[in-house]
This record gives sequence, C-alpha cells and structure tokens, in this order.
Amino acid sequence: MDWDWGFVAEIMPTLLQGLKLTLIVTLLSAAVAAVLGLGLAIARRSANRYVARPVAFVVEFIRGTPLLVQLYFIFYVLPDAGILLPPLVAGVIGMGLHYATYTAEVYRAGIENVPKGQWEAARATNLTMRQTWVHVVVPQAVPPMIPALANYLIAMFKETPLLSAITVLELMNQAKSVANSSYRYIEPMTLVGAFFLAMSLASVVILRWLERRYGRLGT
Amino acid sequence: MTGPIIRIDRLDKSFGALKVLDGLSFDVMPGEKLALIGPSGSGKTTILRILMTLETISGGHVEVCGEQLFHMQRGGREVPADEAHLHHMRRHIGMVFQHFNLFPHKSVLDNITLAPILTKGEPRAKAEARAKELLEMVGLADKAEAMPSQLSGGQKQRVAIARALALKPRIMLFDEVTSALDPELVEEVLLVMKRLAAETDMTMLLVTHEMGFAHEFADRVLFFDKGRIVEQGPPETIFRHPTHERTQAFLRKIIAAGHRV
Repeated sequence: MDWDWGFVAEIMPTLLQGLKLTLIVTLLSAAVAAVLGLGLAIARRSANRYVARPVAFVVEFIRGTPLLVQLYFIFYVLPDAGILLPPLVAGVIGMGLHYATYTAEVYRAGIENVPKGQWEAARATNLTMRQTWVHVVVPQAVPPMIPALANYLIAMFKETPLLSAITVLELMNQAKSVANSSYRYIEPMTLVGAFFLAMSLASVVILRWLERRYGRLGT
Repeated sequence: MTGPIIRIDRLDKSFGALKVLDGLSFDVMPGEKLALIGPSGSGKTTILRILMTLETISGGHVEVCGEQLFHMQRGGREVPADEAHLHHMRRHIGMVFQHFNLFPHKSVLDNITLAPILTKGEPRAKAEARAKELLEMVGLADKAEAMPSQLSGGQKQRVAIARALALKPRIMLFDEVTSALDPELVEEVLLVMKRLAAETDMTMLLVTHEMGFAHEFADRVLFFDKGRIVEQGPPETIFRHPTHERTQAFLRKIIAAGHRV
C-alpha cells in the first residue's frame, strides 16, 4: 500500500467540493437547530399543557430514535406520503430537527437560569410576554449557553457523513465515490479524516475562546 | 376620583394548604401613604405581590382605580381576568423589589426607558429625557451610561425606583426595599422615598422593617399577623400607644433587636 500524491491532487477538487457542501449543510442545520430548539424550549414551558405535553412527547421521540433512521424516514418514506424532498433539504431538516431537541435542553437550562426576579420586574413594568422574552429573558439566557451550543455545532459537523446515506454529496460521499471508481481508499479516506480533524481542532480553539468570553456571564 | 383607589374585599390567598391571607379587607384612599408592618409570614408582602399581579388570588375581590383587578365582565357575568385585562390594569401600578431586579444586560438609562418605549410607545428621545430627569431626582444623573453591575446596592435601588416611576403609575408598591442593603446605604434610598412622598400625590404602599421610617413616611400603619389586620391607625397611635397585645409584643421585639422607632 503506497501513498500516491498524484492521485491526491487529482481528487482534491472533488473532495473540496464535498467539504464545501459539508460546511453548508452543517451551518444550515445548525441554524434550524438553533431557531427550532428555542421554539421547542419555549413551547415546553408553555402554561397550556395542550402545547407543552405534545411538544415534550415529540422531543423525547426524536431523541429516542437514531438520526440515521430519521434521515431514511424523511428521504425514503415521506415520498410515499407525497412529500418528495431533495437530498439536501431532507438532510438539513433531519439534522436540524434532531439537534433542535438537544439545543432545546440547552435553552431550557439557560432560560431556567434567568432569575425569577427578572420575570417579575418585566411584569411589574408591564411588558407583554413577547416583550419579556425578546428584551429580558433571551438576551440574558443565551450568552451563558453559547459554549454548549457551539459543542453541538461541532457534533453536528462530525455527523454529516450520515447524510451520504440519503445521497447528499457531502465530503464523505464524494470520497466514497472517488474511492469506488478508482479502487483506492487510502488517500480519499485519509483526507476526509484530515479535513474533519482540521476543522474540529479549529472549532475547539474557537470554542475555548467562546467559553472564556461568555461562559461566566451566567453567574 | 373621590372613592378609594384600592379596595380589598374579603381577600383569601393560599399557597397549597398554607393560608397566607384570610378574608382580608381594607381600602386605600388616593394619595395615601400606607405602611404595612408585621412579623415575617404575616402576608404583607403577598398583598403587594397580589396588587402587582405577580400572584393570583384564592378568593375575594381587589379593585384598583375603580376596576376589578382579577375579574372582568363578560356577557353580564363575572369571569376571571385574562392577560389583556391584567396588562390594562398593571399600568396603574409600579413596584420596587427587595432585590432591585434591574435588567443586568441593560445600561441604567435603558433599564428606565425600556418599558416606556415598549409599553407606551414613547419616542426614545422623550423617554430618555424623562429618564434623565428621574435620575437627577434620585441623585444619579452621572450614572446613566453605567451598567447595573457597576453600582452599589443603594444606587441600584434608586435606579429601580426611577424605573418604576418612569411609567407614571398612580400606585407605587415598595417591598422591603432596604432589607437587602448594607446599613450605610439604607439612608440614601430612604431619602429618595421621603422626597417622593412629599413631592407627589402618588398612592404608596410600603412593606418595611424600618419602623422609624414607617413612622415618618406613613399616614396610616397596618399591623398584620397571620394574614389579618390586627390593628391599624396613624403611626403615632400604632407606634406609641398600640392597643393590641400582639402589636405591643411585635414592637418590643423590634426595639430589642436594635431598630429605632
């Protein structure tokens, strides 16, 4: 088994193409998870139990089943119900929804960290519920949870190869296809690992910085 | 308005099995300064929290500025108030808390202007001009741009007073506003409140352990025990010639603990 630099140069553009899609999918899914997770966390806190209970059930259901199964379901089963989604959209929805149930827990903890007196001060100054969330609770709850949210971002990034199962041409899928057509696995797979490692290490540096910057705001 | 600004009628409040207020009734006239005193757990703070709609009631009626606080009329029937009604009623009332509860992520100025801008639609410039006047009044004109974390407890509480005043409530509630302060910071807050009491015709309800201040500040003192009013009257009567033995015992204990009456 020998390393072929010529082959590396040959497949590099394809892999970079895949890397680009991996980053796009990660960011889009992260955006979905960030927004949807906040929605889930607020809905679970709702005083109306016809809202809170079903949401809690859905959250437990999604957390209790594997992401890969959910991706198959969205991409291969939903078409039977007439819902046909392009691979990228299905992947972003699947990953975003799955991780939203985890970010919802982070939000929940962050929201519960906001002292009761803040809610009461908002009430005493006659803010509406919406104004209380937007101007008082969320701005205080979010900074301390940024490190935990960033952690999930890195986890999502490393889960993107699952999307190759639903034909998204992300990094892993591109590597697989060049490997399958040339019968050489060492270069593409090594490069995939190296790309992920490089990105993860960079993320860890950013994460440490975020922890220093925001981590102590909650106390 | 010639009638009472607050009417409390056979008010009950329980937390689970614990009865905190027990068939309580009293009226407050517009402009009156009321001091609520009594041992902890006597229900006096709960009254303020109910008036601010931070607590619901278990029974009875509360009327504020001529309207029911927790009830409204729907199709000729009395039904529990909805959030819109509570929102409508809360504009009459402001509250200052024991632990200040300033918004820590907002500057002093933004703490004061947030609610007038959001709930009354005041233009920012107008809200800020008014906030600066209020800061002047509480002696903190130079702290407009400071963050709450940079202030002392006494300064925070004065900002909290300004924040409540910015909404121009007709009724102000002060809930043990000096209890969380270091002793040397108490005076600056009391001074602001004294000035406020002298200069405005706002109705004020004060829950306090500062008997000396209650004496000076209040037109009427209500002594509470176990969710009921035991005795009430002008401060001179309550503090110098209390008739009820529980009032006497309470005041003796307070004096023994070193508080000035």
